[in-house]
Amino acid sequence: MIRLTKPTGALGAAAALLVALGAQLPARAADVTLRMAVPDWPPTHIMKDLFDKQYKAASGNNVKLELDFIPWPDYYTRLNASLTSGEKKYNMAVSDSQWLGAFIEGGYYLNIDKYVAADPGLQAVFKDLHPAVKDSYSTYPYKSDKLYGFPQMPDLVVSYYRKDLFCDATEQKNFQAKYKYKLPCSPEEMDNITWDNFRDIGEFFQRKKGEPLAGKPADDDFYGIEFQVGKGYDFFTTSAYEFLWQHGGDIWDETKQPSAHAVGVVNSRVAVESFEHLLSFVKYMPPIAKTGGLDIFKTDELFREGKVAINLEWIGFAESSINKETSKVADKVAFAQIPGLKTPKGVVKWSVIGGQPFVLMTWNTDIQTKEALDFCKWWLSKPTQIAFAKAGGQSALRSVYTDPSYVSFRPWNRTWAASLDWQRDFWHIPEFFELLTEQQEEFTKAITGQQNAKTTMDNIANFQEKLLKDAGRIK
Amino acid sequence: MASAVDSPGAAAPPARRVLRWGNWRLALLLFVGGSAAAIATLPPSASFWVAGALGAAFAGSAVVNAWGRYRGGLLVAPALALLFVMNIFPLLWSFGLSFFSYRANRMAVPVFVGLSNYERIVTDPVVWDRLQTTALMVVLTVSLQMVAGFLMALLFAKQFPLRRYLLILVLTPMMLSFVAVGAFFRYYYEPSLGLLSQFVRLFTGEPYVLMKSVWGARAGIIFADAWMWAPFVMLLILAGLVSVPKYLYEAAAIDRAPAWRQLWSITLPYIRGLLLLAVLFRTIEAFKLFDVVFLLTEGGPGTSTETIAVYVYRLAFQYVKTSESTALSYILLFTVIVLTNLYLYFANRRGQEA
Repeated sequence: MIRLTKPTGALGAAAALLVALGAQLPARAADVTLRMAVPDWPPTHIMKDLFDKQYKAASGNNVKLELDFIPWPDYYTRLNASLTSGEKKYNMAVSDSQWLGAFIEGGYYLNIDKYVAADPGLQAVFKDLHPAVKDSYSTYPYKSDKLYGFPQMPDLVVSYYRKDLFCDATEQKNFQAKYKYKLPCSPEEMDNITWDNFRDIGEFFQRKKGEPLAGKPADDDFYGIEFQVGKGYDFFTTSAYEFLWQHGGDIWDETKQPSAHAVGVVNSRVAVESFEHLLSFVKYMPPIAKTGGLDIFKTDELFREGKVAINLEWIGFAESSINKETSKVADKVAFAQIPGLKTPKGVVKWSVIGGQPFVLMTWNTDIQTKEALDFCKWWLSKPTQIAFAKAGGQSALRSVYTDPSYVSFRPWNRTWAASLDWQRDFWHIPEFFELLTEQQEEFTKAITGQQNAKTTMDNIANFQEKLLKDAGRIK
Repeated sequence: MASAVDSPGAAAPPARRVLRWGNWRLALLLFVGGSAAAIATLPPSASFWVAGALGAAFAGSAVVNAWGRYRGGLLVAPALALLFVMNIFPLLWSFGLSFFSYRANRMAVPVFVGLSNYERIVTDPVVWDRLQTTALMVVLTVSLQMVAGFLMALLFAKQFPLRRYLLILVLTPMMLSFVAVGAFFRYYYEPSLGLLSQFVRLFTGEPYVLMKSVWGARAGIIFADAWMWAPFVMLLILAGLVSVPKYLYEAAAIDRAPAWRQLWSITLPYIRGLLLLAVLFRTIEAFKLFDVVFLLTEGGPGTSTETIAVYVYRLAFQYVKTSESTALSYILLFTVIVLTNLYLYFANRRGQEA
């Protein structure tokens, strides 16, 4: 038998009291910092702003979000350098969906299957996501069950057009006289235009400096239409695939590895026709299109400078086009869906989905992963997504974009829900950049007249077949 | 006394002599052996610190050993250490990497493949195509820079009003950053808003699209590069021109030698060394032409302006073929060194003949 002496007994009692108190007091809040690489543009600034104003971690921890804002042109290079250098600087990153394969197979992006399986809140998020967005942003292999990302800023291409010109009475009259149908004016009318109408618009609004434009002499040469046909990144591929898919053609199908081939698909007759169709619009575009330099930044700049009647552009640029400080046409711009292809079965629309998911990193500690997932849940909660949409962002959650108030937040929101249904993505595999670079080179050879559409598509198909065979993706 | 300084541990017992701080040979042995053992047995995050600590111990030991004896060596040691860490070590590391199959965006361990990366590079038609493009650009841009630089130097060798201010203006382009020059010329050549197009339109009524053809794009890049670097050539030649003794021209004038003869027989022999130096500097720099190309055309239209430097960038940072890109970089380095030496050899031989 152990007999407690007085001091020992007092110490024991004190220890018991401390243990009892410890059990009753809440655990001390931990300081958790989440570092995230993000592109330097409005959607990520809005996210940071909302976080600073609203976010309270459900765990009670002091969660700090540190965003590293990186300019878009450098973004891939900087993120790639950070990840591959092993510095493990970021816990999360905004990533283009095409980079998923490279960085997942490299071991950087965290698979979130087990966390989703254990968390009804995350399951609800994925259930609420539009399937096109979920497939594009979250899955690798593409359209598989393996999940990696959450939408940060979903995006798609819409028509930006000059309502002051399209609705001008003189222009309406002249267009009717020349083409025997009404020049579309309202967004609803513009939603329904086909590429044939788009061609007419391109031809109609070509004006030389001094020629009348909506009742006044044009102060400079004016152009009817524009869409991205630039050499950098995917600034040609996006437009080429719009035409390809609408014509009924296809790209090499990564979901059918290793039996799917590139040759015969990429250079099919319909693929060549679709590309010829695209090239037929170049003569109505600003002359820089003929250099392969008409990228998304240039189309945006020319439209805001008031040089073009209609521009097919990512929604991500829309905010600056309606801002008087950055746009000469801020009060003259309206938004609609992109044109479609007229077929015997009706008007067909397909487009490449834009925007980006954000992902978690494999080296995060358990507490960082938990807090990052809680942050994602907060970001994809209805109140936060509505606040984001009100500030100029977009939401891919059905519960948010089907809310009647959604279309009132921004003039382009009316196009959102309808357009989501015909969005597709391309190439999530790690060889993405090689496929893309070669394709962009071939496309710009065609637009600068170095080769025809058939040679272009043949070259691309042969290159892809060889590369994918060497990589073991085609047998 | 001197011997005590030379070997401070001479009187100590053998064990202490071996384990003393100044025994740099032991420290080096521990550094090499310990680092190799740590890399082989420990995870990278731990072996990095072990190797770093052993390296620091070796450096400390070398300092203790040299203290009081090699003061000059100690003074240059920090600079040498920095050079080693920032230049020599990465060079050696990347050279080693060129013999492995390694991609920086894969977690896979590098696999030794011998010379196969080099074999793949030298048999790749894309590499040869980019080298031809580079050679073409180098010849044209350096030629233009030499001619423009020489003519400007002849002009500025004379005295005229506002010469000093004009000289500062002319020298400005070479002080600008590559990005600024690239962005400037991007707008300069832009067909809707650019100055060049606006100017041509005054006469033709049509916008001028310089960059729509292969040769137009090449001309645009060559002009931008020459605009930036012709002042550098001018500066070198101007230094030569002002050093030509005036009495030679006076003597030639007395002999009624025409101006071209004075240029050929007096000026050129005097400035030949500087001309050759300008060609050498500009050729080496033009061989690495990247920034202006990337900003103006990204190598387009198609691949018509894609220099080898742009291709190395794509291999390394877009395709993440790390070891292949290092092999290509070493081939380029070797090529530049060989060309430079050949060039210097012929230049020296001609100098001796003269």
